[in-house]
Amino acid sequence: MSSTITASPEAESLQGQIADKPAASKKVQTALPPWKTYEKVLFRIAFIFFLIITIPVNGEWYKNLFGLDWLHLHYRDLYDVARFSPTLYKFDTHAYNLLGYIDWIEALAIGIVGGTIWTVIDQNKTAEYNKLYYWLRVIVRYRAGIGIIGFGFTKLLPTQMPYPSLGLLNTHFGDFTAQKIYWLSIGIVPWYQVFAGVVELAAGALLFFRKTTTLGAVLLLGALGDITYVNFAYDGGVHVYASYFVLFSLFLILYDVVPIYNLLIRERFTTPFTYYPTFNKNWKIARFSLKTANIAIFLVLLFYLQFINWKYDPYKQPAVKGVSILRGNYKVSEFKINNQVIPYAPLDSVRWRDVTFENWSTLTYNVNKPVKLDLSNGGGAAMRDINRTFELTGTAGGKRVFYYDADTINKVLYLQDKFVEVKKRGKNAKKKAPADSVKTPFIPAQSLANVGDENKKIDAAALSTRRARGITEELKDKRKRNKMILNYSANADGSQVILTGKDEKKNDVYIVLDRINRKYLLKDSKLVAGKY
Amino acid sequence: MSSLNNNNSPKWEGYEKILFRFFAIYFLLQVLPLDWKFYGNLFRINWADLRFSDIFYISRYTPQFISGGSTPGAWGLSTLADWVLLAVIAVVGTFVWTARDKNAQNYNSLYYWVRVILRYRLAIGIIAYGFIKFFPLQAPYPSISNLNTAYGDFNRWKLFSLSLGIVPGYESFLGLVEIIAGLLLLFRRTATLGAFAVVVFTGNVFFSNLAYEGGETIYSLYLITIALFLLAFDALRLYKLVALRQPTAANTFKVQLQKGLPANARLALKTLFIFFFVVLYGYKTYAAYHKDIYQFPKTAGLPGAAGLYNVSQYRVNSQEIPYDEYHPNRWQDVVFEKWGTISIGSNEQVVPDTASTEEVYNTDNQRNYEFNGSAGRVYYSYVVDPVKSTLTLTSKNKKTADKLVLHYTRPDSSTIILSGVRGQQDSVYAQLTKINKKYLLKEATVGRSKALKL
Repeated sequence: MSSTITASPEAESLQGQIADKPAASKKVQTALPPWKTYEKVLFRIAFIFFLIITIPVNGEWYKNLFGLDWLHLHYRDLYDVARFSPTLYKFDTHAYNLLGYIDWIEALAIGIVGGTIWTVIDQNKTAEYNKLYYWLRVIVRYRAGIGIIGFGFTKLLPTQMPYPSLGLLNTHFGDFTAQKIYWLSIGIVPWYQVFAGVVELAAGALLFFRKTTTLGAVLLLGALGDITYVNFAYDGGVHVYASYFVLFSLFLILYDVVPIYNLLIRERFTTPFTYYPTFNKNWKIARFSLKTANIAIFLVLLFYLQFINWKYDPYKQPAVKGVSILRGNYKVSEFKINNQVIPYAPLDSVRWRDVTFENWSTLTYNVNKPVKLDLSNGGGAAMRDINRTFELTGTAGGKRVFYYDADTINKVLYLQDKFVEVKKRGKNAKKKAPADSVKTPFIPAQSLANVGDENKKIDAAALSTRRARGITEELKDKRKRNKMILNYSANADGSQVILTGKDEKKNDVYIVLDRINRKYLLKDSKLVAGKY
Repeated sequence: MSSLNNNNSPKWEGYEKILFRFFAIYFLLQVLPLDWKFYGNLFRINWADLRFSDIFYISRYTPQFISGGSTPGAWGLSTLADWVLLAVIAVVGTFVWTARDKNAQNYNSLYYWVRVILRYRLAIGIIAYGFIKFFPLQAPYPSISNLNTAYGDFNRWKLFSLSLGIVPGYESFLGLVEIIAGLLLLFRRTATLGAFAVVVFTGNVFFSNLAYEGGETIYSLYLITIALFLLAFDALRLYKLVALRQPTAANTFKVQLQKGLPANARLALKTLFIFFFVVLYGYKTYAAYHKDIYQFPKTAGLPGAAGLYNVSQYRVNSQEIPYDEYHPNRWQDVVFEKWGTISIGSNEQVVPDTASTEEVYNTDNQRNYEFNGSAGRVYYSYVVDPVKSTLTLTSKNKKTADKLVLHYTRPDSSTIILSGVRGQQDSVYAQLTKINKKYLLKEATVGRSKALKL
């Protein structure tokens, strides 16, 4: 048996002694081994770079933080605290933004400039930066950990990818964008989404402790490396934020790459270099309190907020219960427009088909007529159901999706198209609509009383200041939408429904719907979000 | 040396020896080809015309002493029952071995050789799946019929496969990860990294199989358990180095084979192994990707007919059936694939094929990927007779077998008129007009920032 190879090139590990007092108070003062010049320069650049991308410098984040109503929190309040990403300057020419990575390049440029200035000022006086490196790692570990935990909870309580609505289940596979297909492929297996959430949470939690940092970083690299690639492959739109975590994990793994390489691949006796500052009593108390507060807020409190969000107000899915008898898939048995019967024909460009009333406040139907499409990825945190567009985004095939307010006393549905044109950028954006400002309201006042206050239509446990504020803000939206007012009459269990009224082009319509028991081969899931 | 590095120390603890005996027996039973059916299958291979699928199935050997079917030539996958049997044998074997081998000091040498066997077995297993992703064969781009099937008419496993098939670049990347993990396992010093990669990657495969109800839960668990056992060798070392940050001794056990026959034999065996399972296999999967996507039938269909058609006229026994969305059997639309398959959207009952393990079929009849895990469409394989202008259709997924012989005319490039006989007596007439269908899936590949109207 060959003998073991003796001591590795690394120096012996020492406890760095931070002297608050002069050296005379310690018996022996051992200096830490000096760093090479290029290591010091690289470190200075990295230090500035990582500070810029982890510490919020723009006002938005602070505005959100100080505006929080801690007594009536919504999960998004904490999520937005966790989800900071650096925005320095974006060019108007799309191509210059380098797929969104331009902010990183700018931060790196500042780092290089700053690092150079620092090097010049220092004049080689500082021998090593072990202490700063330690603190930089702490900042990166906590930024990455908190960030991924914010992300992970929306999977652990599966809300990030909603289970497909009936309208989406009826859509043909080729009528989706790739992004939509990926999101749906996770949405159909809520338990797998939970598993993915567990992995992300574990990676994040492991980063909070020094002993498990490398393991957490490796898991983070694997999970978010995959997600970054997925975002490029499916055009998911979140590649920059995902690769943010890849960058952090690579930086954290650097610390242990060489020791692991030496131990496993070169099979040498390895002594890992370790630096850990000594903390005096006050520091220890502060450190312990901060760590506990971090876990209390981002692991315990956030878990609770995410849970009630999933249960009562899943953030991507409309939360308001639909009319209880109007539920399910319906066939259009009869369709009259302006008193003229239109028989079924697959290529007819007027007649409705495949009508669905969802569990929530949505009606969908298909018409064989090209429509403008919403190709966004359905993300964000809209508070009003009308702005929760996952049933519409990335979907074609002539599908129409309408949000409805129901006056159940008078049996009227006030329908508004969930599709709305993207605001044009540039000069014409703020054009005022002159005559429109004195329009009659879409829903007459006494009907509005029957419809009720949208904010209160979810379980009381999930009410929050953010929801109330958000709904008020979103109600100010004056973008034009297609609208319909339809009276409905149904039998006792809603298996036959007759809709009469005016469609979006002000035609008179008379539509007889009969519920069908459409069986899907896709197995549904027991893990259901929302309460309807 | 510290007590955390027992696998190199000259004296193992009692419990370590017992644990080793059990796992050595258990894993050798799992991995060494002891199932006689394996040799029967090997014999049935046509070695003169070796296919990549032959190598694929060899690499997927699992002992099936309990669950093995009696169909000759069938390669199967072991079940938990098989595992339990092997575990029981291993327990018994451990008792016997412990009784007879009281004076053993350590098993360093035997541990080394067990690890060699497991490393190679795991490597070829993971590389086999790696190459059929790297050349995107495992999940092909959806067929035209798949694109015209409702999302809810697929089962979970099929949706998983389709969702991967639309991004061949990502599928290749996943395959590359598997191939690299496998290659790392082939070399002693990088084996732990490879094993770790397998635990993470195949761990995800395992959970996906559970969630999407795929058929390879046990096989992926098989690979994971082997990888975990391989990781155990370095687990304590890594914990000491990375978590405790203490001086850590590396592995020091190395086998030095004598020069001459032993050393040469080792080199020869290793080279042969890698050549067969990596180089040859990789070449053959590359060739398959370019010549014959194994998931779909090979025979060409009616030239220039591929696409989606509206059935503007439909008559059965001279009785016209007008458009009717919920008619029990009127043809709603027809798809001609590039290959010899026609699928008809209708309300007819079909038997959803729900096989969920990876299989490679060589004849068109067996190739069921296109309708596997889906409902809503009736699939027919068809043969063209260009002389008589007829298509002979045979159903692939109906509840009761169905055969049609249809005469076709093509008055223009977007119309096909079919008329003929179904079964023994019913006459069928259909006029098909091609729909210039634009799929958002394809239109949006240029990017989602441009406004689209479809």
